[in-house]
Amino acid sequence: MKDLKNLIFFENLLLEANNELVQKAQAGGKICVAYTCENTPEPLLNLPGCFSARLRAPRTGSLDISTYYMTSFLCEYSRALLERAIEGGFNFADCIITPDGCSMINRCIENMEVLKALGKDKKNFFFEYMEVPMKADDNGLNLYVLQCKNHILKPLSESYGIDVSDAAIRKAVTEHNHVCELIRAIGEFRKEDNPRITGYEFSVITLATYVAPKYLLIEKLEETLKELQTREPDEKQNYRARVLVVGSEMDDTDFIKLIENSGAYVCADRYCYGSLPGRNPIILNDEEDALTQICRAYMNRGECPRFMNTQKMDHRREYVNELAKEYKADGIIYEQMKFCDPWAYEKMMGSTILRNKYGYPVLAVDRPYSIGISGQMQTRVQAFVESIEIKKIQRGNVNG
Amino acid sequence: MAKEIGADRLGDFYKDGSLVRKRREWRGLVDTMYDYSKWLGIMLTLGKFVAKPRNVKAMFRYRWMSNYLAVPMMVDRHTQGLRGEYLRICHTEQDLVIKDVANLLDSLFRGDRRIGNDKKFSDKVVLVDENEMTAVMMGFPDLKVLSRETPSTYVSVLLNQYAACHYIDVAQEYGLAGDVCPMPEAEAGVSIDDDAPILGACAIQCNTTCDGSLLGNGVISQRLEHEDNIPVFQLAAPLRHKEDDVQEYAAQEIRNAIAFVEKHTGHKWNWDAYFECAKRVNYATKCRQEWLEMNRTPYPQVFGSNLALYTETNYMAICGRVPAFEKADKTITKLARAAYAKKKMAAKEYRHRAIVWGVQSHYYMDFLVWLLNCWGIVPLTDMLSMVSTKEIAEVDTPKNREQAYYDMAWLTENMIMRNRTHGGYKVLLDELWEFVEMFNADMVILWEHMSCKALDGMHGLFEEKAREKGIPLVWVSHDLFDPRIISRQGVRDQINSFMRTVMQEEPIDPSLEVLPDEKSW
Amino acid sequence: MYVFLHILKVIVIIVLILFVVTFGVYIFNLDMKLTAAIYPWLQKHYDKIDRDQHL
Repeated sequence: MKDLKNLIFFENLLLEANNELVQKAQAGGKICVAYTCENTPEPLLNLPGCFSARLRAPRTGSLDISTYYMTSFLCEYSRALLERAIEGGFNFADCIITPDGCSMINRCIENMEVLKALGKDKKNFFFEYMEVPMKADDNGLNLYVLQCKNHILKPLSESYGIDVSDAAIRKAVTEHNHVCELIRAIGEFRKEDNPRITGYEFSVITLATYVAPKYLLIEKLEETLKELQTREPDEKQNYRARVLVVGSEMDDTDFIKLIENSGAYVCADRYCYGSLPGRNPIILNDEEDALTQICRAYMNRGECPRFMNTQKMDHRREYVNELAKEYKADGIIYEQMKFCDPWAYEKMMGSTILRNKYGYPVLAVDRPYSIGISGQMQTRVQAFVESIEIKKIQRGNVNG
Repeated sequence: MAKEIGADRLGDFYKDGSLVRKRREWRGLVDTMYDYSKWLGIMLTLGKFVAKPRNVKAMFRYRWMSNYLAVPMMVDRHTQGLRGEYLRICHTEQDLVIKDVANLLDSLFRGDRRIGNDKKFSDKVVLVDENEMTAVMMGFPDLKVLSRETPSTYVSVLLNQYAACHYIDVAQEYGLAGDVCPMPEAEAGVSIDDDAPILGACAIQCNTTCDGSLLGNGVISQRLEHEDNIPVFQLAAPLRHKEDDVQEYAAQEIRNAIAFVEKHTGHKWNWDAYFECAKRVNYATKCRQEWLEMNRTPYPQVFGSNLALYTETNYMAICGRVPAFEKADKTITKLARAAYAKKKMAAKEYRHRAIVWGVQSHYYMDFLVWLLNCWGIVPLTDMLSMVSTKEIAEVDTPKNREQAYYDMAWLTENMIMRNRTHGGYKVLLDELWEFVEMFNADMVILWEHMSCKALDGMHGLFEEKAREKGIPLVWVSHDLFDPRIISRQGVRDQINSFMRTVMQEEPIDPSLEVLPDEKSW
Repeated sequence: MYVFLHILKVIVIIVLILFVVTFGVYIFNLDMKLTAAIYPWLQKHYDKIDRDQHL
């Protein structure tokens, strides 16, 4: 296939947390709201006058200092963020808002706060911690709304004079939805039998929408969608199996590349930082205030393992099944970042249930934050692809 | 063989390669006879328990039941070297806990579909988590509040250091990562291994201490709800429990949990029973505060495992619901006052006053006694004992009925361990140093439970603060339920090397420095 | 009177024997030594039980 015109532009945005568009937006007087967890409602961080940047630590090397502060038993994502913060790599942020999504991220941000690793020379800088619901019900919704008011809207308004009115929120949702619709439209091409976009390309584009100001991406996204509409896929399929990737926080596009280099096509992304359900548009009505509707949307769609009610837990696996069907996945890869407690359990449950109850071939792997080129992982994916192929052949023989 | 404290070489009681110790201590005539009489009492409790055929049946059905063979030994481990009031305090607590656990087991097997299958009884049972505050059940006096995980994993590991290993292995065979906390991992393993009694009208799970605990419950509820048809209510207590803006949510969760229990059991909430329990909760708090107050002086009385184990049971699992614990509180306080008045000491020499912080090793709970006997380190208090001291409303008025929801929520949010692992770094990091000052401690022993992410995440900041304050801090790594990762001797060695190299001290009882208890229960 | 003293003597002897036996069990930790002998046998028994082991 011909290379996507903007792929390098998107890839470049992922090379630094303080990327070109973050700098451009800040130069234009916008406030950069850093965040670390998918349970933070994004549109509220993208109100007029501010934009969100989800923190990641690209090109992570040594984790020595953060390992001293948090030991080697915490996940590498939390350690990489702390290391980068101590190095001064997040000093561009004007504030940070984080829910107690998991203990590790909570501790990571708290270390940043105690060590004063963020907000250098920024007098209005603030740390805000939120309590986000662990169940999807009315009580949870009330909590979510209150927490967003107290820990997002109030500090943004008081520290930076951001307009937090219903109208401003609705405007932010409109912009958010536009980006979501573009991503979903681009992602639709993955359903094709011979897709015109690779899983890697899609992951790069999606990831860019989390780490760069959305309003500065829209033009490139529209252009890419247009380009894809006429893009010719290779005549010969490059993949031997279609897989759905499910799992924990993943901002490492190399992992997707590694899977695709091992013979599998990543047809869908159900992981934190992915598009499913992270890039579902938020449909607002005019009767209810926008904040409540946003919170409800986040609460109902959330697939994070921290949601603890049975209905939500069951839905996590049902949703993977639905996606696998919709995106015609031959198999499922459950990935978990090493030392991630929530996904350690969900990987065990999900992989077993998807295999035994729904009948999918499933590969369950744990991985470091930054995988690079891991021969071990490649071998596992290759073996998985082969096992899917063998199953297909066996099924073909049985069918006649 | 001597009456005096510290006259025995306590290490000589151990025998290499044996599950048990060579013999029991001679503590002088009076104390030995007292200990002997208490041993007889324990034998009676156990005898009554096994007299019921269903309990014998359960013994042969559930693997974890074999750990209960070691009950007398657990008491021996915690009474090592103790004399006088200390011995009596320990027995008052331990014997009551043993009776309570025997009742729990008996009730579990009575309702268990596999064993007693008493359907009528089972319909009155509400299952709760091992690590769960039972405050929400204070107003249901006619319901049985039972935890399956308490006897299968929690108590089992106190009895036998290797008790959880089988279940940890089972969970890992099913793909669970080896780096999660072994406590919920073992509990999940019990469920996977089909080794949990099946009973109850409904269950209340709670997001107790950590992510692992929360997710482990997900494994258990899968079987409970989808196979055993036992409805589960997941009580989501807020994590940032110090914040005002989460308290209404927390109270509503309590209201919802009560409504759930009422719906599935047909029993109505009883305010009289609630306020009776609330009085006992407050009384227990007052007693605990008095003990802690004594521990601030040069003559601490209720400390070490006497404080830790009892608080865990009384504060959380009992939560005012069992009157016998109020009586025990009174007895312990009386004994402590008497010893304090006589300026008594639990060991022949107190060299250091330590705050023990972090999550202590469950397979080595008698480590606190060892610290005292081997090195003269007095464990004044520990993280798990530093729980809520807030007085809850105990008089039945319309206003207090509303307040009660907030009180129950507060207690639930402030469960043992959870009150420190959640709620922001201040409750874990800053308050430690406040307690060091308050208790006039000269040393901090910091358990590093290696798979406890909330604790590990503060490692560097603990060290920096210790340096800043000039307080010696000893890290003691362990893996909570799994002695295969770090053995008991491995735990002791960390203290031994610190005391010898940094503090340049010699042990008070050198026979305890290296113990051949690798294979011991 | 003689019968009463005789009964009392028997009771005292029985109590004394019981005391000596139980105290012997207690001080030499024989109860734990016995259960320690039973324990490995029980583990083998548990290994043989059929279980519906699954998630």
